[in-house]
Amino acid sequence: MKIELNEVNHHYDVHVLRELNFSVEGYKSIAIIGVSGSGKSTLLRILSGLEQPTGGSVRVNEHDVSAPEYRKSVGFVFQGHNLFPHLTLERNITLVLEKTRGYSKHEAHEQACHYLELLHLADQTHKLPRNVSGGQAQRASLARALSIDPEVIFLDEPTSALDPVLTYDVLTAIKELRELGMEFVLVSHVMTFVHDFADYVIFMNNGEIGEHGPPKILEDPQTQGLQEFMEKVP
Amino acid sequence: MADTQQAMSGPADDRRPLNGMGTAYALALVTFILFGVFVVVRQTQAFNVQDLLPYQDDILNGFRRTIWVSIVSLVGSMTLGFLLYLLTRSPIRYFRAFTDVFTEIIYGTPLLVMIMIMAFVIGPAFGSTSRAVMGFIGLTVYISPYMTNIFKSAISSIDLEQYMAMDLFGFTPYQRYRYIIIPQVVRILMPPLMNNFSLIIKGSALLNVLSYRELFYEIQLMTNNNFRFVEGFILMWLLYLTITIPLSQLTKWIDRRWGI
Repeated sequence: MKIELNEVNHHYDVHVLRELNFSVEGYKSIAIIGVSGSGKSTLLRILSGLEQPTGGSVRVNEHDVSAPEYRKSVGFVFQGHNLFPHLTLERNITLVLEKTRGYSKHEAHEQACHYLELLHLADQTHKLPRNVSGGQAQRASLARALSIDPEVIFLDEPTSALDPVLTYDVLTAIKELRELGMEFVLVSHVMTFVHDFADYVIFMNNGEIGEHGPPKILEDPQTQGLQEFMEKVP
Repeated sequence: MADTQQAMSGPADDRRPLNGMGTAYALALVTFILFGVFVVVRQTQAFNVQDLLPYQDDILNGFRRTIWVSIVSLVGSMTLGFLLYLLTRSPIRYFRAFTDVFTEIIYGTPLLVMIMIMAFVIGPAFGSTSRAVMGFIGLTVYISPYMTNIFKSAISSIDLEQYMAMDLFGFTPYQRYRYIIIPQVVRILMPPLMNNFSLIIKGSALLNVLSYRELFYEIQLMTNNNFRFVEGFILMWLLYLTITIPLSQLTKWIDRRWGI
């Protein structure tokens, strides 16, 4: 995929992102890391079109992220699974496909079953989110994000609400999807995962891009910010 | 996440299935029935249900009026409560302050006092001579802040991220309400709404002080004539329970079946 940031600024009360100028091309899974408040989640939201920057322009794969159509072409997985709690896992997907993508009932059902199966949820399709484990709900949320055929899937700390076993579960599923050729941008705190999943890493520090490059930059940090970060995270 | 969801749908006890509790409930029920029998046997006067029969039409009409006035008051207080809810969301500070002060006043007032004030003070000030109508308005006004409260909690229980998801997938405003917001709000709303309905039914008994011929009034009228206080009051008690208990069971069932 290709990402271009041009003079990107973002602030509400405080400055969250300052003067980001950056471009990268040709990678398939990009990880954004950094401490809380470094602006990493904000950057992810801006890249996905969920939030608009207060200044500057952002392009992902030749799309201007401020275009309303762009938002419909991305998959986004939230920290919490964020499934609609009154709908079954399957209905969470078919509702989106039928109402916003014009699928027929039958097509939507087929598509939903396909992706739920892909994420090992074939026997859970008729359960409500509250009746499945957190890991299963998060995988269903991935299935929902995939079902709309997104160009890129954005993951915002997809495992931060899960225990280690469920985390492993979800991360394994994400790796399997990468093998199928899906492209990802993710924010994660799990460094071992970032290390062997991502092919490009962006380190956010205080609203700026501290360092960026292939995962091996994590082993040999050049800036003080990344050095301190790597010492503190497990 | 799981914890907050449970907290939202009320006490955990309400969700526990009946498993293994059947006998215990039966025994508890028998305890209360035995207590009732004991109390009746202890009366100095012989128990006589025959004397109630001539009054059955009056009592039935009172029973109907109780239900009728409660339903109208339910609809009225929901409407008024929703309007108040809109005011609490208003950007104009005066409106928000208004609802706060109003709610404080109502919460601090006994229902009986509210009904008297409406009928004898506020009603006449606006030229109303119908005390029963003013009493009914008092009941409705009294319940409305409780309604505002349940609207508030039901609507705020849909968290911000769900709206983000709706945005992301591109649901139209109509679709959001039709498929996502309203179905959730209704399910969260039902149990507390039924509780408030119970509150109204029980409160309607107070309208007897204004000579509105609801259940309490009709029974009192009868007992003043035939002196069958024990039988009359037991009958009245049972009649209220026949409305309120099924209602609360229905509420629990809805919560178990549809609760989020």
